[in-house]
Amino acid sequence: MNGYAAFLKKELAENLKNYRFLILFAVFLIFGLTSPFLARLMPEILAAVDADMQMGSAPAALDAWEQFYKNISGVGFSALIILFGSCMSGEYSRGTLALLVTKGLSRRAVIFAKYTVAAILMTACYWAGFLAAYCYTAYLWPDTTLSHVFTAAFYLWLIGFLYLSILLLGCVIFKQTFTSILFTGGIVAIISLLGIVEPLTKFNPLLLTSKNAELISGAASVAEFFMPAVIAIAITMISLWLATILFDGKQL
Amino acid sequence: MNVLTIQGLSKTFGGQKILDNLDMAVPEGSVFGFIGQNGAGKTTTMKMVLGLLRPDQGEISVCNEPVHFGQTKTNPYIGYLPDVPEFYDYMAPARYLALCGEIVGLSKAETQRRSEELLFLVGLSNTKKTIGGFSRGMKQRLGIAQALFTRPKLLICDEPTSALDPVGRKEILDILRKISGTTTVLFSTHILSDVERICDHAALLNQGKIVVGGTLSEIKALHGHESLLLEFSTDDALHTFKSQVAIQPLLDTAEEKGNEIVLHSPEMEKVQHTVFRVLAEAALCPVKIEVLEPSLESLFLEVIR
Repeated sequence: MNGYAAFLKKELAENLKNYRFLILFAVFLIFGLTSPFLARLMPEILAAVDADMQMGSAPAALDAWEQFYKNISGVGFSALIILFGSCMSGEYSRGTLALLVTKGLSRRAVIFAKYTVAAILMTACYWAGFLAAYCYTAYLWPDTTLSHVFTAAFYLWLIGFLYLSILLLGCVIFKQTFTSILFTGGIVAIISLLGIVEPLTKFNPLLLTSKNAELISGAASVAEFFMPAVIAIAITMISLWLATILFDGKQL
Repeated sequence: MNVLTIQGLSKTFGGQKILDNLDMAVPEGSVFGFIGQNGAGKTTTMKMVLGLLRPDQGEISVCNEPVHFGQTKTNPYIGYLPDVPEFYDYMAPARYLALCGEIVGLSKAETQRRSEELLFLVGLSNTKKTIGGFSRGMKQRLGIAQALFTRPKLLICDEPTSALDPVGRKEILDILRKISGTTTVLFSTHILSDVERICDHAALLNQGKIVVGGTLSEIKALHGHESLLLEFSTDDALHTFKSQVAIQPLLDTAEEKGNEIVLHSPEMEKVQHTVFRVLAEAALCPVKIEVLEPSLESLFLEVIR
């Protein structure tokens, strides 16, 4: 993997310079803060919209986490995919990679450095958002103690790695940003469709994005997350492996 | 010794044969002009030498080592300057060269030394701008600096002057001439005057094959013909000259313009003997006599016709 460290440094600097990290960080932080805030304000908002509408019960910390997981797994990760969807297309269209590859930069180093940096930035943004949500929730509902708050967040975090690996595979197969993003959406849709089929439901990795709040409320158990997590990690590895193989044969 | 050898190289794109059994050799120490029309397959050939494109057939070796598609061991011998080199816009030129140094695995001190030396060579030492603010000519010059960074045995330049204004072109040609003592240069172009200016070897690519190749003087001697220009002070003198019997066989291919006549022949010495004899016999004194050397352009047009 000739040049991995050098290219990693370049990728980190680039993502800081082109505001990708800044935008992603802002998105996750905003969701981290607004989820508890909106959950707390929901009765007032509903009352303001329509005086007759009322919540069944007073808002609780669990509602904040429900909001958080819905926002992060939907909009947060979509932003992640859209922002990193152009991580290869720019290099292809401008021919910047050809110059470095002819200098001896290994193609594997390109793929792994791109993935490493995307994963590091995703991790930083995700946990920053989580920390914000955690602190604000604890502040708004000081008396509530919930179990498995970190475990639930850990499993959704794994999905970030899965999405990024599928996206990178798309970026290697296709030249345009748009098609790479579409590819990611398509694969995720196929996974979720397969997840509906009865014997596969238990293994569906997308369970890690939908049952997090249930894990906190106690409606789902930690054991249910184990197999989907293993499958998510397996798909991540396979996607990365495929991306390196296909990139070796790509004409730059 | 040849730095680059290509044997039987073929490549087809979408049913169209771009290269057809191409053979070529670039001798060490030469400045080699790779001439061809737009779309003749020059870039394709160069990309295959760099392992960026997969050949359908044929073998390429650089410094006696075979070239493989993808990750090739021969690339450390080669410096590559694409036709429109692109870099990361947010970087300063020295930062880009530092990235090259890190990829190649040079020490920081060595990277800095080479970077300063090369930026001076290409005239970018005092540039504070990031690459995003560079003109095309500046990018081309930085392209040469990065291509020479690994101290390559062979520098491959893909139409380095095509997109530049006359000043930019001259600068690039001067740099290429400067480095030609230490590095073999292969550069593709369709600008023939550039080849005549700095190359000692050339090959002409047409319809997927090398149709003419060798040293510049060999090419000019083998192909094409020389011409003799005579200018007379009056129309009458020209008329008298043309009416001489010994001149008649040369008139078929001759060109006339005003008081000038240009005689073409593959055997220039013989023509000169005849002409001087006739001039002496007819007591004619032309105001100008000049042997016109065959230009690459006339040769090029002749070959691709």
